[in-house]
Amino acid sequence: MNDELFSPTIRDQAPPGKRPWRPESIVYPAFFGGPFAAATLGVLNGRRLALPTPQLLAIAGAGVAGFGARLVAGAFVESDSGVRLSGTVSGILVWLVVLLLQRRAFRVAMLRGVEPASLIRPGLFAAIGCGLLEGALILGLVR
Amino acid sequence: MTSPSPVLHRAQALLATGRAEQALTELSTLPANEVTGSYAIQLRCAALSQLDRWADVGEAARAGLAANGPEPDLLLWLGRSEHEAGRDENAERALLDGLALAPNDVDLLCAYADLCAANGQLDKAGKLVDLAAARAPHAPVVYATRIQIAHARGDDREAQRISREFVGVHPENPVAHALLGGTSAARGHIDTAYEGFRQAAAARPTEQVFAESALELRVARHPLMLPLRPVLRFGALKTWLVAVGCILLLRAVGLPVLAGLLGFAWLAFCIYSWVVPPLVRRWVRRGWS
Repeated sequence: MNDELFSPTIRDQAPPGKRPWRPESIVYPAFFGGPFAAATLGVLNGRRLALPTPQLLAIAGAGVAGFGARLVAGAFVESDSGVRLSGTVSGILVWLVVLLLQRRAFRVAMLRGVEPASLIRPGLFAAIGCGLLEGALILGLVR
Repeated sequence: MTSPSPVLHRAQALLATGRAEQALTELSTLPANEVTGSYAIQLRCAALSQLDRWADVGEAARAGLAANGPEPDLLLWLGRSEHEAGRDENAERALLDGLALAPNDVDLLCAYADLCAANGQLDKAGKLVDLAAARAPHAPVVYATRIQIAHARGDDREAQRISREFVGVHPENPVAHALLGGTSAARGHIDTAYEGFRQAAAARPTEQVFAESALELRVARHPLMLPLRPVLRFGALKTWLVAVGCILLLRAVGLPVLAGLLGFAWLAFCIYSWVVPPLVRRWVRRGWS
C-alpha cells in the first residue's frame, strides 16, 4: 500500500490564471440577480478554479433549470412580486449548486496561496445585467 | 555527527523564539568548513523560511546536498522550496527521494501530504498524514497538517476539533493557537478565534501573519459588526435560507405586507453586510498602526 502512496502522482499545473472569487460571495448576486447571474458567475468562477467540464455544464444546467422554473412561475403566478421572489429563490438554489461544486476546489486554491479576487464589481454587473435580461425574457415570453 | 558547536546551539535557540535574522547572523560566524555541514544548512533553511526567502532556502538546500550527498532533512527543505516556487513535480521528486531514504520520517510525510492537498489530492494527503500520525500522533506538524486537510475538505467542525486537541497538547505552541483561531473563525466563533490569534501574536510578536489575523478579528468584534454575528456564526448559507424561508412563509399564510417589510429589512441588512465591514476595517486599521 505504501508503494502506491510513495509513487509520483503530481503534474505541474499551468500557472494560475485569473484569481477565483469566493464561492460563498456569489450568494449576493444570486439573491439580487436570479439564476442566470448565479450560473454565469458560477461558470466563470468554475473556469478560474479549473473545474472539469461536466461540473461546469451542471452549473449552467442548474441556471437554465432555475430560469425555466421562473418562466413557469411567470406564466402561472399573478402577482409581480411573486415572480420577483421566484427569481430570488431559484437564484439561491443555483448558488447552492455552485457552492457544492466549488467549495473544495476554492479551498485547495487557497492552500496553494492564491488570493481571492473581489466580486463586488462583477457581482453588481451580473446582478443588474442578468436580472434585467431575465425580466425582459419573462415579460416577452409569458406575460 | 559530532556534537553541534555553540554557534549552532545559539542559532537554534534564536530560531525557536522566531528571531530568524539574528539566527542567520549567528550562522554567518561559522568557519568555512562548518558552513556546509548538514545541520548548519538545515538551520539556515529554517531561518530563511521564517523570513519567507524561499528561493534562498532552495539554494541552501542544493548546496547542502552537493556537499553532504542525499539526506532526508535536506531533501525535505528542497521539496518545500520547490513547492513554494510552484514547481510541484520537482517538489514531489525531492520529497519522494527523501522518503525512499527515510520512509517513516514524519516531517517528510507531512510535507508530501501538504503537497498532495495543494494539488487537490485530498485522499492521498489523508492517507499520508495517517501514516505520520501512526508514528507521532502528537507532533505539531502532524496536527497542523491534519487541520489543513480537514479545512480543505470543507470539514470545519473536524478542523476545529483537531485544533482544540492541538492546543490542549501543546499549550505553548503559537501555531496551535493560530490554527484554533483560524478554524474557529471559519465556524463563526469570533471570540474563541480572537483569543487564539491574540495568544499566538503574544507568544510570537515577530510573526506578521498572527498580528494581521488578530487585527482582522478585532474588526469582527467591533460593535458595528454585531448585526453580522448570525451570518458569521451560522454561515451565510443557513442565515439566507432562514430569511428567504421566513419571507415565503409570511406570504404563504397571507401576510404579504409583513413579508414585504421583512424582505425590505433583509435587503437593507444585505447592503449593510456589504458596505460596513470594509469601513470598520479601515477605522480599526487606522487606530491600530
